[in-house]
Amino acid sequence: MIRFDRFRYTYPGASQPALADVTFAVEQGELVLVTGLSGAGKSTLLRCINGLVPHFSGGQVGGVIAVAGHDPVAEGPAVLSQIVGFVFQDPESQFVVDEVADEIAFALENAAVPRPEMRARVEAVLEMMGLTPLRRRRIDTLSGGEKQRVAIAAALALRPQILLLDEPTSQLDPRASEEVLQALVRLNRQLGLTILLSEHRLERVLPYVDRMVHLPGPGQPPQAGPPRSVLRHVDPLPPLVALGRALAWEPLPLSVEEGRPFAERALQDCQVRRASSPAVLGDLEPILKVENLSFAFAGPVVLQGVNLVVRRGELAALMGRNGAGKTTLLRCIVGLLQPQEGEIALAGRSIWGRETAEVCRQAAYLPQEPDSLLFADTVAEELWVTLRNHGLQAQPPIHPHALLDRLGLQAVRAAYPRDLSVGQRQRVALGAVTVTAPRLLLLDEPTRGMDYAAKESLLALLREWRAEGMGVLLVTHDVELVAQAADRVIVLEQGRVVADGPPAEVLTADADFAPQVARLFPACGWLTAAEALARLTPPAARPIQSSAEGDAA
Amino acid sequence: MIDVRVWLLWALTALVAASSTRNPLYIVLLLLVVALVGVFWAPAHRRLPLAPLRFALVAVPLAAAFSGLTAHLGDTVLFCLPPWLPLLGGAVTLESLVAGTINGLTLTVIWGAFAVLNQVAAVHELVRLAPRAFRDAGLVLSIALTYLPQTSRSLARIREAQAVRGHRLRGPRDWLPILIPLLISGLERSTGLSEAMVARGYGAVSDRPQPLPARGLLALGLFLLLGGWMTWLFVPRWAAGALAAMIAGGGLVGAVVWWGGRSVQRTTYRVHRWGWRDVGVMLGCSLLLLLVLLPLGGQRTLAYNPYPLLAAPPFDPLVGLGLLGLLAPAAAAPGPRRPAA
Amino acid sequence: MGRMASGAIYALSAAMGILAFASPFLTAAQTGTALSGAKAALAMMALIGLSLVALLIEMQGRSLDARTVALLGVLVATTSVLRFVEVILPMPGGFSPVFVPIILAGYVFGARFGFLMGAFTLLVSAMITGGVGPWLPYQMYAAGWVGMTAGWLGRAGGGNRAMAARSLAPRHLILLAVFSFAWGFLYGAIMNVYFWPYAVGSAEQSWAAGIGFAEMLSRYAAFYAVTSLGWDLLRAIGNVVLILLLASPTVRVLQRFRQRFHFAVQAAHD
Repeated sequence: MIRFDRFRYTYPGASQPALADVTFAVEQGELVLVTGLSGAGKSTLLRCINGLVPHFSGGQVGGVIAVAGHDPVAEGPAVLSQIVGFVFQDPESQFVVDEVADEIAFALENAAVPRPEMRARVEAVLEMMGLTPLRRRRIDTLSGGEKQRVAIAAALALRPQILLLDEPTSQLDPRASEEVLQALVRLNRQLGLTILLSEHRLERVLPYVDRMVHLPGPGQPPQAGPPRSVLRHVDPLPPLVALGRALAWEPLPLSVEEGRPFAERALQDCQVRRASSPAVLGDLEPILKVENLSFAFAGPVVLQGVNLVVRRGELAALMGRNGAGKTTLLRCIVGLLQPQEGEIALAGRSIWGRETAEVCRQAAYLPQEPDSLLFADTVAEELWVTLRNHGLQAQPPIHPHALLDRLGLQAVRAAYPRDLSVGQRQRVALGAVTVTAPRLLLLDEPTRGMDYAAKESLLALLREWRAEGMGVLLVTHDVELVAQAADRVIVLEQGRVVADGPPAEVLTADADFAPQVARLFPACGWLTAAEALARLTPPAARPIQSSAEGDAA
Repeated sequence: MIDVRVWLLWALTALVAASSTRNPLYIVLLLLVVALVGVFWAPAHRRLPLAPLRFALVAVPLAAAFSGLTAHLGDTVLFCLPPWLPLLGGAVTLESLVAGTINGLTLTVIWGAFAVLNQVAAVHELVRLAPRAFRDAGLVLSIALTYLPQTSRSLARIREAQAVRGHRLRGPRDWLPILIPLLISGLERSTGLSEAMVARGYGAVSDRPQPLPARGLLALGLFLLLGGWMTWLFVPRWAAGALAAMIAGGGLVGAVVWWGGRSVQRTTYRVHRWGWRDVGVMLGCSLLLLLVLLPLGGQRTLAYNPYPLLAAPPFDPLVGLGLLGLLAPAAAAPGPRRPAA
Repeated sequence: MGRMASGAIYALSAAMGILAFASPFLTAAQTGTALSGAKAALAMMALIGLSLVALLIEMQGRSLDARTVALLGVLVATTSVLRFVEVILPMPGGFSPVFVPIILAGYVFGARFGFLMGAFTLLVSAMITGGVGPWLPYQMYAAGWVGMTAGWLGRAGGGNRAMAARSLAPRHLILLAVFSFAWGFLYGAIMNVYFWPYAVGSAEQSWAAGIGFAEMLSRYAAFYAVTSLGWDLLRAIGNVVLILLLASPTVRVLQRFRQRFHFAVQAAHD
């Protein structure tokens, strides 16, 4: 179906190739997972298959690529669009018209498909993606998961033989991602559609994958093959696979169900040491104190009687489903929204009547889309802009130079921020809000769309700041991240705090929030692969691989 | 529901009618008809035709004052301004005030008719009116409308993001940190969007070659239009020939649009079936055009002139009946929205 | 042939605009003309509409590529959102923030893009603010010319070479400011033509045949001074302020983006 032979590609002006020596083949009806760190060339590889690269980017191409008997490099994306469907990362920026059915018909209108056939096809695709009841809805009223399903439906309207998806779930919450992935598996199993998708969070897709293509880094030849064999060379890994690899489980389990028998045996074989009770943080000085906070937009109540404390040197995670009021709470804390009731105190002082700009000098807030912050010409300038806003340019509390060092951005300090990778842009934004040396840091979904390595470096930074006494309130859906980093977990549900306690208690109480290791070893109180490995004495012959938890920092 | 094309026809008919007469009786009648249609189609909470009323309250006195102060014609002198005033100096007459009032009322009719159109027509339906030759233009409009809500959201997000880094809106210069990220995110979105469009077959089916040298014909059409118009203005003797040239020029431009549309290979998903309401409104509009524009005898009463001495305007029942044809949409208004008697 | 025809289309359309602008005075100068004021206005609307259609066809060309369509759509949306700002915060007089983006887009991306950007921005913002009416073709026509001439300015001012440097020389900034100031008045003058015949009416012409070109012009001057001068002055000043504020950073961003449009695909050598 798809064949790469010693294919290579270099972006215009780049000294190194983005893809080199790519050789692999995909058979009809396979579900293929493309992995690798950001910047390793996943997007580029997928875009080569439908000709967007090089036709929308320029550059140098070499070697052979054949897609269902066509040559995308020679024929271009317009021709390939009849064979290959493409779904992009951000569901927001691929729609052309306002209503669901019209959006799906767009491709058919372009292809001049006669109207009776067009109607039949639109109906069939709507049915296939479970969108029939949404047919007449306006797209901007849909949820993220629904939008992404509309995008898939729109790509399927031309009846492609191959469907490509570029990180289709990176902008979605766990439930919506699950919805989208289930739809893809159904397409693959029931219709025999060939699917290639790239994805960061492997744990969700691995059980369904026929073939894996791993890109180790820019310009390095990819490894391709069945997932179990490719996973041996991949780093870092989802906790389950890391554990399986470290404990030499064969065949390597890809889902928690597959892992359970191994886990039971491991618990019997090894001398199991129970988790020690978590360190008590004691009564450190609270930096943020929220008391009986209630907030309502024009009608519905979003927050109701919320009580919450973040202490000095504490990393608290705030979790909850979409619409539970997490972001609203953060916006109340920095004074962007005025709550109807309740009290918010920062380091003992009420924020009532204080300007957002002033509150944020003490409480740095990193919004969900850090790109909204960036507009200066260089990375360093972004930090200076904040200092100037606060009138601190004469005596910066932290010198921007030192902060850039710490953020690992020294090498790109003169670069145009928008040209950087997602992870780097995130760190620039983080620098721009923390250059005032705040005592509290509020982060809204900071790891959305980030790969494992970027997450690790963010975690390392947060740990350092925590050690220096900064309080951190982290809003996230990322269960594994919370398992690794949080001192305390707070769960919001429909605007109320329903749980507040140490991760080991809170995360294991609800199946939706349980990390893989907790589901694998229920009732042990372990959350991360490192914890489990430390407590399970491994077979003597087998050395533990250091990357198991991936605490690279 | 009435099709948006029919509404457009209705508003244009009102425009033609209002521009064809100077008779205040007819203009007031038109105004009532347009206001009534507006009332019947207004959402339940905004029944009173306040907007046209407000417009009239501004436009009519302004037009009357302008005419009264600058056109010193007519026999019924109200008072005199000192003659040394440039332009304004001279007699202010009742006739010139009436003439100005008529001007203001005409503008109100036109404004009111299009206010109704704006009120009833969904924006996306207006976009679908783009003829096939303007497929790309229609697509631009559709994208723009699809991205409007997103852009407003993005504007709000950027304002917050800048606020949390200590930014305050004090002067015009402070808009830069908000507008520049808005522009950049728009540009980035457009890259993604163009890729998505191509990946979904935009431009995959090439158009049929155009059978005619479109540009040349277009230039010729414009030339005929311009030439005809100038002839009409400067050589009134050749008015008939000028009119013919203008019609031919307009026809040429129309033909290029039509041929351009035929060469576009594309089908449309939406179907529209004409309903009885559409037919009713179209009949009403044709009635008006027939009775008002055809020389059936009542046409003389369209022209009315307050100068030199104010006289009662004539009224022809047939023309009045024709103007009532514009009421058709009121009769076709959806049931539950009809105001309680 | 193609170039000549397209040049002819621009020239004829411009002549049409000028004629439309002058026609009230011309009709006044002519005695016994067949056109009465309001009917002349109808004819003018039709002519301006047709000339707009012709220009749009010429500008659209055979078809637009996906990049241009997407870029236009998104820029039009962004500019129209600024129009919302105008509705929420009432700006003084005829000031509107839509002209400067049109001018800058034309300046960077060329006359064709500028024309389409101008015409579509006015169309979309009319649709969303409920401003569709017989005046719309005039607005689109005038705003289209704003964008198109800005494109010419960009090319004539050695803009392209200067743009490679990614920044706007002070000379170009001043040029742009003067240009936008002039268009502040010109736009108002073109828009007045639409309702001038209604405001004056035809009655006194037919009664006092041939009140004369000079008289008509002086009445128009009075009309303009009363209804538009202050209004247009504020628009012109607003344009200049925005240009001085926005032009350099905006042109820089647009340039950066435009450079991505130009690339080549090569085969790698073994």
